[in-house]
Amino acid sequence: MRNWRVKSTVALASVVALALASSATGQSTAKLWTGDPVADRQRLMKLNGASWADAQAKLKAGNAEAVAVNAETMALIATQIVTLFPQGSLTDKSKAKPEIWQKWPEFEEAVKNFGSQAEKLRDAARTKDLAATEAVAKEFGRQACGTCHTPFRVPPPQQQPTR
Amino acid sequence: MLRPMRTVVILGTLVALAVVGCATATKTTIGTGDPVAKAGAPETVAVNAEALSLHAQRIPSLFPEGSLTDKSKAKPDIWQKWPEFQAAAKNLENRAATLRDQAVAKDGTAVTATVQTFGRDACGTCHTPFRVPPPQQQPAQPRS
Repeated sequence: MRNWRVKSTVALASVVALALASSATGQSTAKLWTGDPVADRQRLMKLNGASWADAQAKLKAGNAEAVAVNAETMALIATQIVTLFPQGSLTDKSKAKPEIWQKWPEFEEAVKNFGSQAEKLRDAARTKDLAATEAVAKEFGRQACGTCHTPFRVPPPQQQPTR
Repeated sequence: MLRPMRTVVILGTLVALAVVGCATATKTTIGTGDPVAKAGAPETVAVNAEALSLHAQRIPSLFPEGSLTDKSKAKPDIWQKWPEFQAAAKNLENRAATLRDQAVAKDGTAVTATVQTFGRDACGTCHTPFRVPPPQQQPAQPRS
């Protein structure tokens, strides 16, 4: 009984000491990944959408070179996607289809394709060739996003097939 | 055989750091297409902070031993003090995640406070000890 109390006191003191040390050094304790895969992947896709929107705005303004950083971000996002879809992470908040886990190799392939397409866009942008970058961007929605979203994501309301 | 690999690593490092720089630049427009739209809308900072945190996670893997060339601004101290370098990258990752969480919470005061010290407390903890400063930041040489 006494041993248990000592252990609890030591554990509590350690937690307090760590919190104080963290506060004193100004260390940030927030984490990139929250442990909630649905929230994490939805946030990541928000970044992906913002990166794509920004890339499109830059192309519209005729600035191909500036698209490279957006494409780089999308390529980096692609490297994280698969790990954010662990078995059993389908909740009512998720728009993921069960097909992801039923056709896992196809899902992995679609993610890999997205990464390759993003790298292709980045490489085109780095050449500063507006026409070449626009050509990749023109097909990006269908060939990069679409190969994963079409088979593996419940479409948003405006894209639902009409009855 | 090692040469193409080194080139890829160096190029990858430069691009990743360019992305980090872009995400922290004041004129960054990601997510809105319009920097003016960001004024007074702290939640729009979330995607930028997410990008910073994501890229920070990747930094140590882009500095393998022997990747110091004349094109690189990295200091040899990176490999001499590897645990400190890793901690500095982790610090950037966590501070960016903090900024993201504040932005998601639409806490404008907290976002402003974090952004104000971000250059020193996030970028600086790595750039100051581990990167050769750009010319304008070099200490003036004494005249002979």
